[in-house]
Amino acid sequence: MTDKNGHPSFFKSLFSGFFLEELVFPYPHMDKEEEENLNLIRDTIRKFCESYVDSPKFDREEKFPEDVINGMKELGLFGIVIPEEYGGFGLSTTAYVKILEEVAGFDGSMALIIGAHQSIGLKGLLLYGTEEQKQKYLPKLATGEMLAAYGLTEPGAGSDAAGIKTRAVRDEKKGVYVLNGNKMWITNGGIADFFTIFAKEEIDIPGEGKKDKISAFIVTREMGVQSGKKEEKMGIRATSTAELILENVEVPIENLLGERGKGFKVAMEILNTGRVGLAGGNIGGSKTALKYILNHVKERHQFGRPLISFEIIREKVAQIALRIFVAESMVYLTTSLIDRENIDFSLETAMCKVYSTDTLLINTNDCLQMAGGIGYSREYPYEQWVRDARINPIFEGTNEIMRIFTALSGIQERGEYLKKIGKALSDPIKGFGLLTDYAMHYMKNRLTKERIPDVHPTLAKAKADFEEWAKNLHITAERILVRYGKHIIKKQIIQYRIADAAIDLFGMIASISRVDDCIRIKGEENCHKMITLCNTFCGQAWRRVRRNLLMIDKNDDDQLLKITEFITEDEEYRV
Amino acid sequence: MNIAVCIKQVPDTETKVRVSGDKKWIEEGEINFILNPYDELAVEEGLKIAEAHSGEVTVLSLGPDRITSAIRSALAMGANKAIHIKTDKNPLDPMATAEALAQVLREGNYDLILLGKQAIDDDHQQIGPILSEKLGIPAANVVTKLEVSADKITAERQIEGGFEKIECALPAIVTTQRGLNEPRYASLKGIMAAKKIQIEEKIVTVPDDKIEILEINYPPEKPPGKIVGEGADAVPELIRLLKEEAKVIS
Repeated sequence: MTDKNGHPSFFKSLFSGFFLEELVFPYPHMDKEEEENLNLIRDTIRKFCESYVDSPKFDREEKFPEDVINGMKELGLFGIVIPEEYGGFGLSTTAYVKILEEVAGFDGSMALIIGAHQSIGLKGLLLYGTEEQKQKYLPKLATGEMLAAYGLTEPGAGSDAAGIKTRAVRDEKKGVYVLNGNKMWITNGGIADFFTIFAKEEIDIPGEGKKDKISAFIVTREMGVQSGKKEEKMGIRATSTAELILENVEVPIENLLGERGKGFKVAMEILNTGRVGLAGGNIGGSKTALKYILNHVKERHQFGRPLISFEIIREKVAQIALRIFVAESMVYLTTSLIDRENIDFSLETAMCKVYSTDTLLINTNDCLQMAGGIGYSREYPYEQWVRDARINPIFEGTNEIMRIFTALSGIQERGEYLKKIGKALSDPIKGFGLLTDYAMHYMKNRLTKERIPDVHPTLAKAKADFEEWAKNLHITAERILVRYGKHIIKKQIIQYRIADAAIDLFGMIASISRVDDCIRIKGEENCHKMITLCNTFCGQAWRRVRRNLLMIDKNDDDQLLKITEFITEDEEYRV
Repeated sequence: MNIAVCIKQVPDTETKVRVSGDKKWIEEGEINFILNPYDELAVEEGLKIAEAHSGEVTVLSLGPDRITSAIRSALAMGANKAIHIKTDKNPLDPMATAEALAQVLREGNYDLILLGKQAIDDDHQQIGPILSEKLGIPAANVVTKLEVSADKITAERQIEGGFEKIECALPAIVTTQRGLNEPRYASLKGIMAAKKIQIEEKIVTVPDDKIEILEINYPPEKPPGKIVGEGADAVPELIRLLKEEAKVIS
């Protein structure tokens, strides 16, 4: 229920049948002063973007103008999360993600330039940098004098990040590491001067001999990093996505980031926090698309009536609003977990990323559909929004990997516990305490109800559904662990269903907590919209959870895989 | 140079405004408030003059607690000081508001008082001229160009069909119009610095309103469009209606 550092995780605990109330209730609030600042920052961004950010033009020209980047530097958009003592503004993760949301509502590429810089590019330095490293680089990164990028992916290592081939050879005499290799699809790759680079080095481990281990490095442009040509992409065309070429790049040993051989952990930690920024940005994209399509469906008439008077259009509009509401509820609960520190939020950020990016694609696509032929025309923004949205389920950890990660981390948590029980059984006297604990826990319906606080009566049904299906998720996780043992790792379709059930449950509890809080502060009469959104989502969600969990036992997976087998063998569709 | 800028917080132009149940005001609950855009011009002009004449800019605003966010916007742009004028009741009559402002302005010994030509919510356009009367100093209204020297100002004002150039001695009041300048964006640095500035609070008693709001109403709804028919056959009828009903052609 906790990570290796002993930090509690809400969702890992939930998989084990424990409800850590204090992590989700009451729904978090921003510090009042920061909220005031945030509102001013949003105003500024709005004015700036309305004057200078011409998203369709940037898309057509596949270029983000340098003077706009300079304007962003002057505004301070590159130093949002950097602490004040290093020349930044030291805003919270919540404020930062809300800023990304605002920016992404104007232009996806612009949000990514900021995000690649702060969410991942310089995040390693913030998390693992030494005082000297921070002093040296953070002030320049805060002003945007240096732009940052994150270099993990390689031609042969995408989802399998541990398979990177870039080599680092330590030259003690010269006091440098010599880096050789190529990095692919690097956002800000052509314009950055500061790179967090991951490479393998041979490390002599006592008792194990020489082994290849990943280390992380701070590499700067003038050390000799070359950029390949800007990639031609489907969407987010204005960002500089490029290959990085490292040819005998000499990096001073003091630029090692974190411990030698612990680079993989650095890489994952960065992404664990970084991907919530992406999730937030995607909310902004959905909101803009919704606002735009609302105007269209009200104005456009067919059969003598405005489109919005037709039920199927009304349903689409409602679903988009629901998805935005739930994504918001999840994302800003998660950012507060990050801000509270000493909490393991890795599952929550992964789930936010999946939900927010998948739904941006659905939302923008639905908007395009509602616009019809106009939606397909390049004269209107819909097609660009769909193209811009498409990358999100792919990068910063594909949504497939994120789901597998969510399911396996959750199940593993249960596994660790059962392992302990197993040990206790082999030595019943020593393990007595643990066994009693387990028996007690087992008897008490597992998901200890008394830990879930009472919510406002209007949300009681949603809460009861959450409790029931959270309990079922926990029981299912344990059951499949018993059934498949370590082979569960190969059962990806089951993992997918587990993850989707978990994401729906997370959406439910985050929304319930948010609305309960709203009612407490503003009164029921002022929260009607939110209450409707929350209860509607919860109604949809628990049914999806039920279906996903039922399909773990009753499914046609074997048949499905058989089809793949003969299709693959035939190398074409031939039946 | 000691410069005062009077600002007002107003509903965002993009906010959908709803009239309150008693029709005396608007529902404030879900409204996003902003710094009055004309006052933004005044803040910008104040900052520019202060930069050129090594002066100091104080913003003043009267209203309930929520107006601090408008004050913070002006501070974030670069104003040096701020005064939040608190009153026992919220005046709706510009005469009362101007009286309260005048009480505070008299204490400040300002060389130049800037404010937007009007607020975009109630559109009275009276505060500048009334202040001029109450403080006994000249006012230049609806100014699109301003030059300031140590003891006088030269201002270009928009008048019907042209411009008027006027000159007056300091201290003076200037109300600002679009075209005067391009207000700067508050940077994160400005915003964070503004939070360190203490907003001074002054409690002032305001005279009773001399005008009363009887009713606030929405503008009449636009009548729906009319489809006369389709194709060439409909043209004669369309022309008839344009002539006789809409009277846009003859």
